[in-house]
Amino acid sequence: MLRAENLTKRYRQGEKEVVALEGFTYTFPRGATAIVGPSGSGKTTLLNLLAGLDLPTEGGVYLGEIPLHRLSEDERSEARLKHMGFVFQQWNLIPTLTAWENVAFPLLLAGWPPAKRRARALALLEGVGLSQRAHHLPNRLSGGEQQRVALARALALDPPILFADEPTGNLDAEAKEEMAALLFQAGKERTLILVTHDLELAARAERILHLKGGRLLREEVPRKVP
Amino acid sequence: MEVFYLVLRNLLARPVRSLLTLLGVLIATASMVLFLSFGEGLRRALFQELSRVGPAIQVVPEGSEGLAFSAYPEITPTQVEALKRAAEALGAQAVIPTLFLARGGLDPQNSFFFQGLPPGVSPDLLYPGLRAKEGRLLPSKGGAVVGAKLAERTGLAVGSPLRLSPQVTLKVEGILEESGGLADNLIFAPLKALQMVLGTENVGAVLVALSPDKKAEEVARALERAVPGLKAQTTGEVMRFAERALRISDLVRFGISLVALAVGGLLVANTVMMSVYERTREFGVMRALGAKRGFIFRLVVLEALFLALLGGVGGLALGGVASQAINLYTQSEVGLALSAVTPRLSLFALLVALSLGLLAGLLPAHQASRIPVVEALGRV
Ligand SMILES: Nc1ncnc2c1ncn2[C@@H]1O[C@H](COP(=O)(O)OP(=O)(O)OP(=O)(O)O)[C@@H](O)[C@H]1O
Ligand SMILES: [Mg+2]
Repeated sequence: MLRAENLTKRYRQGEKEVVALEGFTYTFPRGATAIVGPSGSGKTTLLNLLAGLDLPTEGGVYLGEIPLHRLSEDERSEARLKHMGFVFQQWNLIPTLTAWENVAFPLLLAGWPPAKRRARALALLEGVGLSQRAHHLPNRLSGGEQQRVALARALALDPPILFADEPTGNLDAEAKEEMAALLFQAGKERTLILVTHDLELAARAERILHLKGGRLLREEVPRKVP
Repeated sequence: MEVFYLVLRNLLARPVRSLLTLLGVLIATASMVLFLSFGEGLRRALFQELSRVGPAIQVVPEGSEGLAFSAYPEITPTQVEALKRAAEALGAQAVIPTLFLARGGLDPQNSFFFQGLPPGVSPDLLYPGLRAKEGRLLPSKGGAVVGAKLAERTGLAVGSPLRLSPQVTLKVEGILEESGGLADNLIFAPLKALQMVLGTENVGAVLVALSPDKKAEEVARALERAVPGLKAQTTGEVMRFAERALRISDLVRFGISLVALAVGGLLVANTVMMSVYERTREFGVMRALGAKRGFIFRLVVLEALFLALLGGVGGLALGGVASQAINLYTQSEVGLALSAVTPRLSLFALLVALSLGLLAGLLPAHQASRIPVVEALGRV
């Protein structure tokens, strides 16, 4: 369970102060939560704070009972490794490693032995339909395949929280559909936090949070299409 | 080590750049090894030579300590007499005035090194174990005895004339057996004849042979007290003196090779810095996935260290081969292996290469590991 309390992020830009996020309080339950809003409304900022990639100016993030914002840089890294997975909009993969090596990277960080890493990575790639691509370098993969490898990697250590920032932003309709299906599938058992401009994608989440000007405007529960 | 695998993959992903950097370090290390190998070779040759010399004490004019091969003879007959008396009083076995004379040019084909011997003193008194291969060992008044390698090089044979000056011509009376030492490259001639060539009554050095039960250092000090203006050096002292001189020349040669090393180091630094810059986003992704700062730091430092180590090993190998080639040449020309890649030189070269890599890697590694994750992720 992930909880944000009065999360606020301000940036100093010379004399001016930019408020990227202000007073965001929310408890993310299990299942998919989409975060939507116009460009510059603070979506990425919020995601960075929730994941402990950045520190809030005020307020805090609680991972269960752990105050993430109070942890040291390395402790937050460790928390991310254990509890969180990430899919970004693009350039997710380490370009010098093959698909399976990318998927195995978190396992390497976690200290798994080589044989187990490989077996787990190949199984995960199979799960996203990419068994045939396991030994390709990222630049040999299509955009949609790269995103699916990134998703497989995000799931490597089976984290309870999954973050995705515009995971389908660069994909065509077909690849987007494939990716979305896999993503929401993975999000069922987890806390999936999905940042997107795409209202159609957002509508498939269980909740939609509308951000504007750094504030949480409203929470919406989309009508399920049967 | 797991990180090492990632380092390797990254270097292999940019093979040309990695190879060029490697070559830079390799050449730098090779040149350093070669430069320093001369000092090691000289040291080795000198040590072998001195351990073979018979007389325990060498008396030379004050101020020309070390090896008095080239010094103009400055010890007067009076001083020689005084030395003889003092040495006999101290129980010396033999007192042998001698001098060195070089004739010929830079071309080893016709350069000759003469050592003068007083009447009745045979070369094997100075260089124990020396034997004649042809003719006689002890030259007569108008004769000379030629070392094995010198004879081979110059084609001198028993009966050949040796014209030292318009007035002095000697006849070769014997060729020596090869001993592997300095004597192989010398011509032994009567002291008188060499003095006549130089137009002097002086000698360059006086050798004092002691029986084994005598303490060389003590006798040397007593000789110095007895005959002022002269310096009596034991073999050990010569060795120490030479070691000091060699060390200074080592430093000079290391200084020269530092230029190449600095260039090699800058190459590594440049490669690693470029690699870090290009991979900022990659490092951001790694950090987001849960890599700690130390992981990124190790990744970068290891890359630099690996390049440096590989270049260092390659450079050491290349330097060793070059040193062998040089020895092949100097051995045939002057009969000495001038260059030696000793274990301690190898170790030193590897350590220098590794420190170079460490130095070149630390700053980029620090930068790479300190950049905020969010900023790194924002960079494409
Ligand atoms: N490092 C920074 N320094 C200064 N201002 C920043 C910084 N990062 C973000 N901002 C500002 O904070 C606000 C929120 O940015 P954020 O990236 O969170 O928006 P977003 O909702 O993700 O936008 P988009 O949909 O375009 O990705 C914007 O006004 C942005 O200019
Ligand atoms: Mg954004």
